[in-house]
Amino acid sequence: MNDNVLGEIAEMLREVLDEYVVDDVEITVDTKFYDDLEMESIDLVALAGLLEERYSGRVNFAEFIADLDLDEIITLTVGQLVDYVDRSMQSVKVV
Amino acid sequence: MAVQEPIAIVGMAVMLPGAPDLESYWRNLVDGVDAITEAPAHRWDPAFYDPAASADRADRVYCRRGGFIDDLAEFDPTRYGIMPNSVAGTEPDQLIALQVAASAIADAGGPDRLPAADRVGVVVGRGGYLTPGLVRLEQRVRTVNQLVHTLHELLPDVAPDRLDLVRQAFSDRLGPHQPESAIGLVPNLAASRIANRLDLRGPAYTVDAACASSLIAVDHAVAELATGRCDAVLAGGTHHCHDITFWSVFAQLKALSKREQIRPFDRGADGILIGEGTGVVVLKRLADATRDGDRVYAVVRGTGVSSDGRSASLFNPEPSGQAMAVRRAWAAAGLDPTAPQAIGLLEAHGTATQAGDTAELATVADVFGTNGDRAVIGSVKSMIGHTMPAAGIAGLVKAALAVHRGVLLPTLHCEDPRPELAQTRFRPIGVAQPWEGDLRRAGVNAFGFGGINAHVVLEQAPAATGVGPISVSEPERVLQLAAADPAALAEILSADDATVLATPLLPGPCRLGIVAPTVRRLALARRVVAKGVAWRGRSDIWFTPRPLLPAGRTAFVFPGLEADFAPRIDDVAAHFGLSTVEHSASNVGRHGLGVFSVGRLLADALNRLDIHADAVAGHSVGEWTAMVNAGLFAGSSIDGFLESFDPDSVQVPGLVFAAIGAGADRVEAAIAELPGVVVSHDNSPNQSIVCGPQVVIGELVRTLRQQNVLCQVLPFQSGFHTPMLAPYLEPIRHAVSRFELRSPTVPVWSATTASPFPAEPAAVREIFLRHLLEPVRFRALVGAMYEAGVRIFLQVGTGQLASVIGDTLAGRDYLAVAANAPQHGGLAQLRRVVTALWVEGATVDATALDARQKAPGPSLGSARAGRPVRLDLGGALLSLGDGAHGLVSTDRAPSTLDGMANGDPLAAELAGLLRETADSAVAALALRDVQKTEQQPTTPTERESTVHVSVDGMPYLRDHCFFRQRDDWPEITDRWPVVPATTVIAHMIEAAESAGPRAIAVHNARFARWVVAAPAVDVPVTVRPETPARMQVSFGPFAQSTIELGDEYPAAPQIWQLDLSTERAPDILADQLYTDHWMFHGPQFQGVVKLTGLSDAHVRGVLRTPAAPGALLDNVGQLLGYWIMTTQSNRNIVFPVGVRRIRFYGPHPPAGEELDCVIAIRSITDAELTADIQLCRAGRVWAELDGWVDRRFDSHPETRAVERFPDRNTLSCRQPGDWTLVFERWPDLASRDLIMRNHLAASERADYDRCGPRVRRQWLLGRIAAKDAVRQGMWAAGEDRIFPAEVAVSNADNGQPLVAGAHGRALPDFGISIAHCAEAGVAFARRSTRVGIDIEEIAEHPGSAVGFALSEDESALMAGLSGEPHLWFTRFWTAKEAVAKAEGTGLRGAPQRFAVVSATESALTVEVDDRRYEVSCTTISNPPDLPPRDYVVAWTCAPATEADREAAA
Repeated sequence: MNDNVLGEIAEMLREVLDEYVVDDVEITVDTKFYDDLEMESIDLVALAGLLEERYSGRVNFAEFIADLDLDEIITLTVGQLVDYVDRSMQSVKVV
Repeated sequence: MAVQEPIAIVGMAVMLPGAPDLESYWRNLVDGVDAITEAPAHRWDPAFYDPAASADRADRVYCRRGGFIDDLAEFDPTRYGIMPNSVAGTEPDQLIALQVAASAIADAGGPDRLPAADRVGVVVGRGGYLTPGLVRLEQRVRTVNQLVHTLHELLPDVAPDRLDLVRQAFSDRLGPHQPESAIGLVPNLAASRIANRLDLRGPAYTVDAACASSLIAVDHAVAELATGRCDAVLAGGTHHCHDITFWSVFAQLKALSKREQIRPFDRGADGILIGEGTGVVVLKRLADATRDGDRVYAVVRGTGVSSDGRSASLFNPEPSGQAMAVRRAWAAAGLDPTAPQAIGLLEAHGTATQAGDTAELATVADVFGTNGDRAVIGSVKSMIGHTMPAAGIAGLVKAALAVHRGVLLPTLHCEDPRPELAQTRFRPIGVAQPWEGDLRRAGVNAFGFGGINAHVVLEQAPAATGVGPISVSEPERVLQLAAADPAALAEILSADDATVLATPLLPGPCRLGIVAPTVRRLALARRVVAKGVAWRGRSDIWFTPRPLLPAGRTAFVFPGLEADFAPRIDDVAAHFGLSTVEHSASNVGRHGLGVFSVGRLLADALNRLDIHADAVAGHSVGEWTAMVNAGLFAGSSIDGFLESFDPDSVQVPGLVFAAIGAGADRVEAAIAELPGVVVSHDNSPNQSIVCGPQVVIGELVRTLRQQNVLCQVLPFQSGFHTPMLAPYLEPIRHAVSRFELRSPTVPVWSATTASPFPAEPAAVREIFLRHLLEPVRFRALVGAMYEAGVRIFLQVGTGQLASVIGDTLAGRDYLAVAANAPQHGGLAQLRRVVTALWVEGATVDATALDARQKAPGPSLGSARAGRPVRLDLGGALLSLGDGAHGLVSTDRAPSTLDGMANGDPLAAELAGLLRETADSAVAALALRDVQKTEQQPTTPTERESTVHVSVDGMPYLRDHCFFRQRDDWPEITDRWPVVPATTVIAHMIEAAESAGPRAIAVHNARFARWVVAAPAVDVPVTVRPETPARMQVSFGPFAQSTIELGDEYPAAPQIWQLDLSTERAPDILADQLYTDHWMFHGPQFQGVVKLTGLSDAHVRGVLRTPAAPGALLDNVGQLLGYWIMTTQSNRNIVFPVGVRRIRFYGPHPPAGEELDCVIAIRSITDAELTADIQLCRAGRVWAELDGWVDRRFDSHPETRAVERFPDRNTLSCRQPGDWTLVFERWPDLASRDLIMRNHLAASERADYDRCGPRVRRQWLLGRIAAKDAVRQGMWAAGEDRIFPAEVAVSNADNGQPLVAGAHGRALPDFGISIAHCAEAGVAFARRSTRVGIDIEEIAEHPGSAVGFALSEDESALMAGLSGEPHLWFTRFWTAKEAVAKAEGTGLRGAPQRFAVVSATESALTVEVDDRRYEVSCTTISNPPDLPPRDYVVAWTCAPATEADREAAA
């Protein structure tokens, strides 16, 4: 687990959402996008934009989301995204 | 001691002062609401309150405040299969206990979750006090007699009949007597009625242990469960006695608070205030509850009971006895009460009397010691008063809620705690606070008069319970705070959580709302408010420094089809009683219909919460919902359209939609090169939807995802909002051309034009079609609405639309909130909407969400829930009303006259005349008042016309005559043709329609008087516009209503779903209604063709539309008439007096068409019957009538045959000796009028009218008896049917009665004699013979009367007869009268001329001149339903002279 990535994603979430929510809920790998952060689909779009901006094409959030069914999206945790970002970054390195 | 089996509390319900239900009780407990008020005047007369009265006045109290539930005491009888008219006579606490018990079951998950009925018990604590029902029984049985007895002693000159009037007037004020109500005397019915109505078959009984009753009931219940006799027990207590006797007892003991405040454990406490209430808990063994997945409020760990024994006096509390009960409970729980964390809350008995609080604190110190954590002590009595036998359950429910929800609850008015508290481990608290600690445990005390003590130990449910399959949910708390500005609000929030939660709501523009406030949310809210920036919805917190309202406008925005469709509306529909359709996303048509109906339902729900739109819009097909919501089309147009919509007909093959997480501009660029793909929805800066061939869209999605754009192919296919739909548009174009358009109530915005719809119908239809072919420009729409001032966007449906709006309006000041969301239940989400709007300054009716859940119960065939009946808990002194002062007349002149009238015909006449004059004056004054109102200036737009009412002009009225006569009877007035009320409605509609389009509704139709058509009458009809669409119509002085006009009939509502389980088959066929004369209606009004079925709450049948105007709705009245005749034993003559509302959903059916008619009985009292009606033609509702009110007229079972077949029956009974006797069975004016018209012909009615009101009643009895005597005589001689009117009775010039046949009826030569007295009339008819009959009441007569009437010989004769002298005198007098009539002379003031020469009890001989009469004689009595009275009747036949008799010998 990359603490750095977790920190970066937490910062993006803070930007997407109102800062207080994130401020109040300590963002951990267990934090759920839906239940804990009350994110809606349009927020995911904004998050995708920030991920794109930060990792410039190396992390494809849209592909990640597209592979998930509805139940999986509802239970999606920050940790899962961090893992995905980690894997995406490493595969880029390998290539 | 064995440890008790743990028992779970799985359901609870209360009705307590200020708390109609459990949730309100909880709020009051948390908020510390003082529900004490002054005693309502109807509970006991305010005169009893006299703090200055001497201490020995047991009938005066020095305190008048207490806990009352009058405004909450509503009961819906039909829900429990109880006839509404029996409610008034039933002991109210029985009905309240039933209702609360049903609510407790509902709270436990409903009857379906109860164990088998034979395993469910009921134990109710109840005292034997003078409850309201008993008081009324006592008044009826004893007080009235005491009153008359005392009056008689005080005013011996008052005639017995006047005293009877007093007795009658007093009894009348008590309402009709219902023998079954006397059963209320039996106290165990409080439990038995629950078992009976809810069909529970375990033991059901009451227990009385004074103030300990409820907890003793719980103790019994625990035992029933522990022994395994029951698997569930309802336990509780009820107390609804505020009788003055009850108050008096406590006042005499000086136990009531002088300062009228109940302050448990306060140093200054000076006594109790009396409360009332009912509470019931549902108990199960914890093991069973855990197995069943029940929600467990708390676990009863132990119960303990003891008596004080001989250790104290009967009414002084005794610590040693109390301590024994508490210790026993803790021992039963296997717990040590002195352990450090043994207890967190003690709900004490806390009576706030010096003796009571002192003893209780001694007990508490003794049992719980002084070690351990400081626990809270308190008593709910500080808020609701002492609810006596219900006190224990009020405390138990409070403690269980506190344990369950983890809140320590406050006690009021304990500002200066008693010093003894320092010797305990307890402290009182004034505001609610969180209950910290690992295990929440509480104790509840209840100590009763006489030294009976009970204690219950409650404990938090084990963690495993409470999360089961059960779907019981509790509404979340909403914290509302307001202040002048954010700084002031921050100041409030700076306190600790408990204080914040207990802060009362004050006015202020700067508001904060938190749904389900938790520690985390409160912490977040503090930061939000500190920053002073609006916060709208995340973490269920809403805050604004500057509300958007009233400046901002509110829009309802209806969602269209979205990928996920999982609305949560069932609870909303159930709560508001709205109908819902099954929703499904199986195809576009069903999905569309589902979206549409959810939108309508939620819009209705929002309106009920007083949330209304200033504008509406919709997304995609949501635009259709918006159009309907604003009334742009009739809802039925769209319903029909969607119902018949075949999605395949507009499905463009191979097209799919995809939602793209990018703005339209970016998407446009991406699809520029792709064939056949278009943007169908420009939703927001970051979301669009595209539509195109499946393969191409697949490619686009892959490409865009690679560019990190979120994409989702949507699960429905149609091609809507694209040019590709054009070739498939024809069916829709056709449907749209037929939609009828109206002016919308609020602007409807189009997402095609991003502007409001234009006014012209053609333009609207064009945009409707463009909407299907052009992209949905939702982003532009939201922007334009914002520009137009819309600040609040309510998403009226489920889905993501609110967040799409948020994307468009990001950075601006707005509120977008969804009325339905998958995260929360439907009502829970509405609670959030209400909170959000309140924060923005809206006035919303949040209480509509809190409204009491209707308790489920057996529904006995009623189509919908009935109307609740307000229970009368009163026991105030009765007032005889306005007419009282005349009863025992204190007015000198008439009383003297009345006295003289007994013996002096002149005085009697004069007294009658005076009364008539007074009556006439009253009538004239009343008429003047009417004329005054009628002469008020009229508005210039008022229009008047005339309807000529006559049988010639309206020949069908010959079939709407109240009274039957011989077929060839020439006198139409004797039949009494009356215009049906429903025909009057038809005339009013016709008059209103001359002023505008068609009538779509009739409001508040009232029928004041019959419109009799013979003689003919011209009725002025006035139409006065209230608004262009509402016409006030008056039909002369006879009727009035408001007619609502419209171009269009409203959408037909759903057809009622009847519960047919209790329906029974009618006992007659429809045509028997007419052939057997159940109805008076002739052929042109005979439309009931089928009686389908009926129950105690409904009747239904089939009506065939007659041709006569108004006859169809008249047939509704007939069907209702059938219901009342077949279900009610008396007062079953009914006539409509009003209809609250009639709504038409289509044109009047043509003659001959058959309609299904369903009538739901809403309420029935002795006076009135109220029903709602639905009429359906061809499976569609044509009309709905709400609040049809029939007035009930008195009709005695014995009069029914005469009403139906007057030509074959008589009201009179033929007596041995062949005379007839009739009793007056029609006490009220209206019923008497009907009886009169059924018997008298035109000329006789003129005679009747000439009679003074005083003699009219008896005169009528005499006429009826005479006609009946003749008819019975003729029937005895073999004659067939004879109508009463065919026998004309008149008087010869000398006053002698004569009978003759009328209108061709041949009559033998009858001699007739008539007499009447009080409620009885007699007549004697004999062919060719002069006869005499008389009737006199058996009564004491003054000596002077005897001296006047009897000669010395007669007096001597009478003195030699054994038995009551006054009975003999009456016999003598009656015999003389009878002979005087036979002589044709009357007594002529010389009674001694008619000499009684011999007498036995059945025969007297009277001599007059040389004629000798044998007079038969008998005594009769009034039947039981009339005032008790005995009479002598004497009758004689032909005279015999001395010569005759000698010849005969």
